[in-house]
Amino acid sequence: MLEDLDQDIRDHLERETLDNIERGMSPEAARHAAVRKFGNVMRIQEDARAVWTTVWLEQLLEDIRFGLRMLRKHPGFTIVAVLTLALGIGANSAMYSVVQGVVFAPLHYFQPDRLVMAWENNPRFPRVFVSYPNFLDWQHTSRSFQQMAAFMEQGVDLTAPGSPEHLKAKKISAGFFGTLGTGLSLGREFSPEVDRRGGAPVAIISNRLWRNRFNAGPGVLGESVTLDGVDYSIVGIAPSGFRLEDDADVYTPLGDGDPLVLNDRGAHDGIFSIARLASGVTISQSQAEMSAIQNRLDQLYPDANRDLGIYVQPLKEEVVGNVGGTLLLLLGAVGLVLLIACANVANLLLARSAARKREFAVRVALGANRIRLVRQLFTESLLLSFSGASLGLLTAILGVRLVFAAAPEILPRSENIGINSSVLLFTFGVSLAVGILFGLAPALKSSHADPQTALKEGSRGSTSAHHRTQSTLVIAQMALTLLLLVGAGLLLQTIRHLWSVNPGFDTQHIVTFKVGVSHSLMKTASSTKVAYQQLIERIRQIPGVQAADFTGLVPLTGQSGTMPFWINSQKPASLQGAPRVVMFLTGPDYLRAMGIPLLQGRFFTPQDTTRSPCVIVIDSVLAHNYFPHSDPLGQTLSAGFSPVGPCRIVGMVGHVKQWGLDDSNSNIQNQAYFPLYQDPDKWVMTNYPDTTIVLRTALETATLMPSIKAAVYGAGSDQPVFAVQTMQQIVADSMSSRRFPMILLEAFAVLALLLASVGIYGVISYSVTQRTNEIGIRVALGAKKRNILQLVVGQGLRMVLVGLAIGCVAALILTRLLSSFSHLLYGVSTNDPLTFVTISLALTMVAALACYLPARRASQIDPMVALRYE
Amino acid sequence: MSTREIGKRIELLQGTLDLLILQTLLLGPAHGHAIAKAIEFKSDDILQVEQGSLYPALHRLIKRRWISVEKGVSENNRRAKFYRLTPIGRRQLVIETSKWDKLAGAIARILQPASK
Repeated sequence: MLEDLDQDIRDHLERETLDNIERGMSPEAARHAAVRKFGNVMRIQEDARAVWTTVWLEQLLEDIRFGLRMLRKHPGFTIVAVLTLALGIGANSAMYSVVQGVVFAPLHYFQPDRLVMAWENNPRFPRVFVSYPNFLDWQHTSRSFQQMAAFMEQGVDLTAPGSPEHLKAKKISAGFFGTLGTGLSLGREFSPEVDRRGGAPVAIISNRLWRNRFNAGPGVLGESVTLDGVDYSIVGIAPSGFRLEDDADVYTPLGDGDPLVLNDRGAHDGIFSIARLASGVTISQSQAEMSAIQNRLDQLYPDANRDLGIYVQPLKEEVVGNVGGTLLLLLGAVGLVLLIACANVANLLLARSAARKREFAVRVALGANRIRLVRQLFTESLLLSFSGASLGLLTAILGVRLVFAAAPEILPRSENIGINSSVLLFTFGVSLAVGILFGLAPALKSSHADPQTALKEGSRGSTSAHHRTQSTLVIAQMALTLLLLVGAGLLLQTIRHLWSVNPGFDTQHIVTFKVGVSHSLMKTASSTKVAYQQLIERIRQIPGVQAADFTGLVPLTGQSGTMPFWINSQKPASLQGAPRVVMFLTGPDYLRAMGIPLLQGRFFTPQDTTRSPCVIVIDSVLAHNYFPHSDPLGQTLSAGFSPVGPCRIVGMVGHVKQWGLDDSNSNIQNQAYFPLYQDPDKWVMTNYPDTTIVLRTALETATLMPSIKAAVYGAGSDQPVFAVQTMQQIVADSMSSRRFPMILLEAFAVLALLLASVGIYGVISYSVTQRTNEIGIRVALGAKKRNILQLVVGQGLRMVLVGLAIGCVAALILTRLLSSFSHLLYGVSTNDPLTFVTISLALTMVAALACYLPARRASQIDPMVALRYE
Repeated sequence: MSTREIGKRIELLQGTLDLLILQTLLLGPAHGHAIAKAIEFKSDDILQVEQGSLYPALHRLIKRRWISVEKGVSENNRRAKFYRLTPIGRRQLVIETSKWDKLAGAIARILQPASK
């Protein structure tokens, strides 16, 4: 049918013409009347064709073809626009993949929203590790949970099969994997029979360990691994990639652990407990039931449990931790970068649409459908944004790698981060929104072009309306750029201030590391002590080592070791409610190694052993709080849930920053030191292996390490040396919660500055071209180069200054409102004038430079050429 | 020609044009030009159909199989395409006519002054 349409129309027109001639018209008049009566042939053909095709698809394909042709015709424009969008969209996709991996994605367990973590708590701490006897009672009596499990994180030394290695391990209760709903790759998880004192030594190993040490052979069940000197029989393999909090290579039964900890209802020593809600039960219901259970326990066991409560939280909340707020903040910041990029592309499109006004006017005059035109313009915009997005995805892959480089350790669940389907969907949505956003203004403007006026005017077209829009966009870009620069600047100041904080000890020349002392040497408490003492002596003999000793806690590493304490035998009624002290278990040379000042009395000596009276050293804060008017030396202090003491206070030392360089008073500030060699024998096997060696040296770590390793292996060839860090690294890591957003925000701010500079350059450049005539006239009337420069740069600076003003106001408001940002700051207020002024000046100068280039071009305009320019 | 002038003609809804075409073909097959003339003539020139719009309408009717098309020779020995009502088209005409009558009647009643 359609093929004949042209012929049919021609036939029709012939007939009508003949009829008209018969009516008496002249042949030309007859033809003319026939054509007029028929109507718009093109439209008729379109309409007829439309009957037979899936209209919208045909038109869409045509739009796309047309759009591609247009983009190819203006390669410069297309490249700039696509690159700009690639940067903007790519950065957003990268950031989103981080946020969705860490914050949004559900946990990788069965029905993860039914999983909770149960903590104990007391008036001082909202979350306290669980005591094992309490956990067992919960397990027996709770009905809100269909299953409960407990676990502890630790390290073990694996000595067989293969070479010695220190591994991350978990001690888990029976039903641990069951609670999470995760099946094992091979074998079964622990049964209640093995999960108790004296249960058979069995272990579950990770997929990684199975591959590395057993070549992933199927006969691994029943093979053994030697951990901390004991052989364990393998009964299961954990699934590949499984982890909870830390990822572990070895799992052993919790119940077969140190009875001192497990039987002590008052011991809260690192045990986590997880649970799965019974069907139909909500978290608050479970919280209520558990609180009631805990109350009963408190009454049954007042000594251990008085003032002890319970806190149930969703497991995901615990795993994600505090980093969620910062990540969302960064997602917002990168969104601003995208807006700036869109503004650039919109300005480019506006400039081009002015040039295309004539084209549209002609098409409208020929009868084109306005809606169709708008749709075509949108198609062009979407083509741009989707091309930008595709390129942007490549950028995003790179970007994600950069994010990892910025702070690998502070991101939980980092295994989830990657370009997955959620990220692709997000990218698609963003490019759709972006395409519509920057396509809107030019499309509407173009379609409203009145054909008559457009055709009469020269190809320049009216510029005033476009100029207003372009200026507004530039102002917005400047404001947003300022916002990002201020944010980055404030964080930069924060990091600078943190580095200048004195932590109370030496940060240079100190190395810390751990040693897995051979378990053959640790059969008894005394043999252990001897082994450790010999080890540290060997290390002290190494040339270049100025001081070295053990410590149970290294400040600024995030380790926690607080316990209740009291002075002069005034034991409090409730240990849970008693004031806390951070207790450092150290050897005598620790003070010298760390460079902590001794303020009064003495520190430990090798003569302080379990055979001599116990001694304690306190810090200046504890002295100030508890001995404000008296001399602490000679008085006594006791500490701990299974108390040690009363011990005589023999010295006072300087306070150290334990919790962070920005340590605030919301944390426990009391500090005390107890001699490692006076630790009661029953604790030696638990506490000694947990120690870290602190070493002072003027040499580089790399130079010294081989000698250290030689000394350690000399004492026992199966003793791994691990967790080597310099104090500088520890200090830097302690800032990582701030360094991470700082690095990213700096990157975004630089990107924004780049885009905004290109933007203002483009707009001013375009304006100069449009005003060529006017500038020519000015020059002809006597304006000097200087005047023209002032004119053009002035135009640009006006926009910049308005943008800066708006940006400053926005920055002042937002940095205060966004608590997730203001909490990051240290040593600098949200309205730090130095930052604002410096950044405003810098931004103005960059913008002025960007305006200078087109201004120079303007000042060199030859009036004779300009006046002929149309 | 400006788009404004076209608007002055009474724009027929798509559906009504289809109806008029079907009615015209009730009297027998005709080619496109003849149908246009017939509609003008029968309505005493009130319905000045933009003649071209006939063609998309014819295509629509063919697609719905209410009319069929055959090649033939016209009165003055020119080749022409003749359109003819199909049985379905005939039935459809009855349905559409009654719908139109109902619609026209309803509008007429609304526009009448209220009877006492």
